[in-house]
Amino acid sequence: MRRARRLGFVLLASLTALAGAARAQEPYPSRPITIVVPFPPGGVADLTARPVAAAMEKALKNPVGVVNKTGAAGAVGMQFVATGRPDGYTLLLALSSISIIPEADKLFGRPPAFTVDQFAPIALISADPTILVVPADKPWKTPKDFIADAKRRPGQISFSSSGVYGTLHMAMELFAHAAGIKLRHVPYAGAGPALTAILGGHVDALASGPAVVLPHIKSGQLRPLAGWGDKRVAALPDVPTFKELGYPDAEFYIWAGLFAPRATPEPILEKVRQTVRAAVNDPEFRAAMDKLETPIAFKQGEEFRKFFEADARRLAEGVRQVGRVETP
Amino acid sequence: MVETLQNLALGFSIALTPGVLFYAFAGCVVGTLVGVLPGIGPLAGISLLLPATFGLDATRAIVMLAGIYYGAMYGGSTTSILMRIPGEAASVMTCIDGYAMARKGRAGAALAIAAVGSYVAGTVSVVALMVLAPPLASFALRFGPPEYFALLVLGLLVLAYMSGGSMLKALAMAALGLLGGMIGIDQMSGYFRFAYGVVELGDGIGVVPVAVGLFGLAEILATAGLATPPSVIKPKLRELLPSRREWSASAWPIGRGTVLGFLIGIIPGSAHIIASFVSYAVERRLSAHPEEFGRGAVAGVAGPESANNSATSGAFVPMLALGVPSGPIPAVMLAAMMVHGVSPGPLLIKQQPELFWGFIASMYVGNVVLLVLNLPLVGVFVNLLRVPYPVLYPSIVVFCILGVYAVNGSVVDVWIMLVMGALGYVLRKLDFETAPIVLGVILAPMIEMALRQSLAMSDGHYGILVTRPIAGALLAVGAVLVLLGLRPLVTRSLDWRAKLALAGTKEERL
Repeated sequence: MRRARRLGFVLLASLTALAGAARAQEPYPSRPITIVVPFPPGGVADLTARPVAAAMEKALKNPVGVVNKTGAAGAVGMQFVATGRPDGYTLLLALSSISIIPEADKLFGRPPAFTVDQFAPIALISADPTILVVPADKPWKTPKDFIADAKRRPGQISFSSSGVYGTLHMAMELFAHAAGIKLRHVPYAGAGPALTAILGGHVDALASGPAVVLPHIKSGQLRPLAGWGDKRVAALPDVPTFKELGYPDAEFYIWAGLFAPRATPEPILEKVRQTVRAAVNDPEFRAAMDKLETPIAFKQGEEFRKFFEADARRLAEGVRQVGRVETP
Repeated sequence: MVETLQNLALGFSIALTPGVLFYAFAGCVVGTLVGVLPGIGPLAGISLLLPATFGLDATRAIVMLAGIYYGAMYGGSTTSILMRIPGEAASVMTCIDGYAMARKGRAGAALAIAAVGSYVAGTVSVVALMVLAPPLASFALRFGPPEYFALLVLGLLVLAYMSGGSMLKALAMAALGLLGGMIGIDQMSGYFRFAYGVVELGDGIGVVPVAVGLFGLAEILATAGLATPPSVIKPKLRELLPSRREWSASAWPIGRGTVLGFLIGIIPGSAHIIASFVSYAVERRLSAHPEEFGRGAVAGVAGPESANNSATSGAFVPMLALGVPSGPIPAVMLAAMMVHGVSPGPLLIKQQPELFWGFIASMYVGNVVLLVLNLPLVGVFVNLLRVPYPVLYPSIVVFCILGVYAVNGSVVDVWIMLVMGALGYVLRKLDFETAPIVLGVILAPMIEMALRQSLAMSDGHYGILVTRPIAGALLAVGAVLVLLGLRPLVTRSLDWRAKLALAGTKEERL
């Protein structure tokens, strides 16, 4: 009996070894691919990842699934992919926070959950400039009014954000630094509550993606003052950009991009890049992004790397400017 | 009023088309399942099914997702009553008296009352949603951090009513829970607290693993430790339905739970569990027999179960009327609308009357479906108790582990549940109640966040907590409650808690 069991073990072990060897030689992809979204379902990352996955599945004729691995503002899922197996079967759909989290870890002197160079950037999918909105019953009609008032009363004008060092927080801080003003930060747990706070009149300003605030601008509850992009937002042609206003350093996008673990072999990366290129040109994918009013901003290879690095630099600088937060 | 009826007729003409009806039904079935399975709550259920709705039109998608949401509130009571495992977080309160009723052989009655209470709450609160949505939604938005803080302080005072035994022990457990709630990233400054390098602890310890561990697992461990296993409760078929006395004892709690749940549900950011535990505390305070609570009081099931259901409709008010994501689940549903090209916002009701009224009508239909679905299931579920313990309990442990893992796909959550199970076992042996721990874990991060946001708003001035009218009024109510609690000390008369102790209820509890 005992011998039979030992034999079983040996057999099992050799079978697993064989399977491993076979896996090394199998053509890519021959198993389902997983895109890890480090945020909860229903958010920007999730809503971008699902149509991407569907279009990639069509292009590859191989299943591509989305898994939400949430926690610690995205750090859990990002760390999961950073330390995951570099075989092209686990990809990451990340937002700008991928460059913020390691920088914040550094600021607090704790061992980083992951670093940016643990990833191979594959493609930028979308980039949405944030816009500055204020409640319609506030006196500021233009960005100049806002900045002038903020200079008069430093630290008195408040803004909500999706969380400390979160994307919406960083956008506002980049602007405040560029304009030389000081605002009062009230962090909330996510972009939804941050929007609720400004609609309820509990804070004076918010940096937000255009899609979520457009209905409230149309209904007359919020007033847009300026945008963070290098071009005006199509739906809001009268709203100037900070660049036009003379603050080029306040450039900021909520972007979504696809990454793989750094050690993924080049041929596999190339295959993924090809697939993503096909996917973003898929009409169904374009229709899905249209409905979400999220502009597609496809960038690959060198172009994406440059965008990513410039963005990471701005954000790192932003995190350092904010420094460790003192709270009451 | 005529206009409302016309709109409602339009809604029903949409809700009763076979396609929409089918998705409402599918949503309710999935929701019941999600509610029954421990761990997986409505949020996880909706998230998992969100992609499946991408191919549907907006009305069908929303109707189905909403069905999952309120279906889960129905289903959540089942395992709470039968096995003392909360099927989803809002059913934690039902575990206490529901399970006690099951031990007395009244599982069928408890399940039936939970289903009927949910039905009444669901239907009445939809009427409220329909009539009051726009005016209430604007009022609810006035709940900012200071108001929320005041509300939570009221909730914290309620903790003192949670326990039937020693006040000192209850407060000790609440403090333990509050301390546990401190774990995780400090939302205001980004510091990791008590995480010891475990990234998963960044979000703190979740309610689900704590509740499933403290209630469910501890119960199983305690039973396994008995010298003679408790006899299998064999319910007789004719004892399945509640008695006349049980019906009349639950009528008022259902009514109060409905109103309370709806009002609390409207407030952005509040959780259903708050509605259910406030309802539990109110029922206990108003009851002529507070000593029955914790030992199988019908009101302790009827109130909270109604409250968590009507809170669901309440949560839809800001979502539909204003396009405000009032909690994680409405946020996912708003995303679903956007995926379908419907832009949620204050203009939704005017611009998309078919969607709004179809949705309202489908909730009436859905609640009937759930009642029809759940009442016959009572018989089936109760028969689960006939399964011998050596088979039943190990399978429950497996389900607990699977369910808790499924929420975030995190092994750390499973470990938390196991540790909580062991802790719960020890605490039971020492005659401590564990419900206050769960409430502490839930309340601590909310109270802290609300207080510090308030102070960030006011630049550190505590005055903001009393100068804003709603917050001030709520805190005044809290102060009155404290004074009432202190009165026995002054007048030297006995309060209900002392009477309870005198009544010699120090019976051995499992």
